[in-house]
Amino acid sequence: MTLTDRLRAVFVDALELPEGVDVENLKYRDIEQWDSLGHMTLVAAIEDEFGVQLDTDQVIDLSSFKVAQDMLRGLGVDE
Amino acid sequence: MRLVHPAARLLDAASGVTLGGPDLAARLARVGEAYAALPPGVLFARSGLGVEAVLRYVGAVEAGRPVALLDPALDPAVLADFVHRFEPAAVLGLAEGGAGADPGALPKGYREVTDAVLGPVWVREHAPAARPHPDLAVLLATSGSTGDPKFVRLSRDAVLANATAIGTALALDPTEVAPTNLPLYYSFGMSVVNSHLAAGATVLVVDGGVLAREFWQATAEHGATSLAGVPHHYEMLHRIRWTPARYPTLRTLTQAGGRLRDELILAFHEKISAVGGRFHVMWGCTEAGPRMSTLPAEALPERVGSVGPALAGGAFTVLDPDGVETSAPEVVGELVYRGPNVMMGYAERAADLARGDDQGGVLRTGDLGRLDADGYVWLRGRLSRFGKVFGVRVNLHDIEEMVRDHGPVVAVSGPDRVVIFAEGVDAATAGQIAGRLAERLRTHRTGFDVRPVERLPQLSNGKIDYRALEAQV
Repeated sequence: MTLTDRLRAVFVDALELPEGVDVENLKYRDIEQWDSLGHMTLVAAIEDEFGVQLDTDQVIDLSSFKVAQDMLRGLGVDE
Repeated sequence: MRLVHPAARLLDAASGVTLGGPDLAARLARVGEAYAALPPGVLFARSGLGVEAVLRYVGAVEAGRPVALLDPALDPAVLADFVHRFEPAAVLGLAEGGAGADPGALPKGYREVTDAVLGPVWVREHAPAARPHPDLAVLLATSGSTGDPKFVRLSRDAVLANATAIGTALALDPTEVAPTNLPLYYSFGMSVVNSHLAAGATVLVVDGGVLAREFWQATAEHGATSLAGVPHHYEMLHRIRWTPARYPTLRTLTQAGGRLRDELILAFHEKISAVGGRFHVMWGCTEAGPRMSTLPAEALPERVGSVGPALAGGAFTVLDPDGVETSAPEVVGELVYRGPNVMMGYAERAADLARGDDQGGVLRTGDLGRLDADGYVWLRGRLSRFGKVFGVRVNLHDIEEMVRDHGPVVAVSGPDRVVIFAEGVDAATAGQIAGRLAERLRTHRTGFDVRPVERLPQLSNGKIDYRALEAQV
């Protein structure tokens, strides 16, 4: 699976997203599911899936699907 | 006496605009004039974290117009029920709220108008029969974790007295800059705004909370001096290894809204002390408008676990198991608070809004605890929070304390056993928790049903949603 596919699966699973949500254009607090609690779950799930550890700034910066994608690329996760 | 000190300022993080002095007074006066054009009665204010919402709230208090602060994400059916039961003169802030916030359909007997000052409003066509009591200033919905939703009635004097007493306990002065991390409709969030405005300080109006980049940008850019949070916020900050050292102006951390683990109290106390700041554990409830006690920062680490002595003007006593009230130390019983900030009473329907003071300045807190020789409060959980394990009554709060080192846990009463929801543990740890509890309470481990959960459900104010958990048992 590509990074994007894996990340999409992590988002859907961690945020318990309903079908039909435009995952790739999601932003923090745009939807009820991605609140502060959802964010903590999402961060933990991303760390698990990609074997990375996000620092304080990265957790706070992770405000959209696209940012998460770029962040993981920057951390050297294979496409 | 007014809520807003002449030096007070509102700083809008989104636009960078500061309102203070005559500008702020003029904006509040305009809001007051707009209210004067509405029918008489209480106002409902759906309130997010924006300057307009703060102005509508503060403008109501300054104009002597009772106002109910409401969560914009309140379910439309619940809002409709509130409108039906309390017959507000108007529902303000129809455009407030982000994700999932919808006021619902226009209630019968109201028309929707767009006011030049107030924005979109539902206005009542006919004045309600019951006029609110002249002392009434603020209505806050009680938290959903206990009982049916109803309003706490706070008088103007109670709101002002509490704002001043908090200012004294925290030594607030006009140099303080407080960012809005907590919702306005939550009593703790309201008290942050009130106490800073009364002290002539700055309220930095910023939306998003401690996991949002905008929040920390605003904190850095505008030199925020304090951060107010509930245990959930400190748990999150701990998990993301946040440190106050990055924000040199930040010198006060306050925590209320439930019990934070001692380990984290001490960790944050150390972090903020290292940069010359202080950590305050506080205790309150909506019924006390809300603050009742504050632990002086110097009392840490020695008195970790205490919520401190009563605020200036307040006093605690304990109802012992025989129902005898005492101020003697070391007696465990229900804590009773007396002070000028105690609510007038509850309101379940419109007629109750006309009621005067039902409480006489006395509040039975429903919390178990004791006072030490210096009058510091040590809480032992909710009075009603008991469960039974094989017929033996156990204090659910004590059970949570016994296994709190595993992370956030909640114990609820099940059929002759206690169900423990433990956040982020695996099955093996869940088994260990049950084993430890059985050992401590000298009973069989099957009396404890430990269920791992990814996260504990929360109410919109960040408190644990006990009812949602009880519903799963």
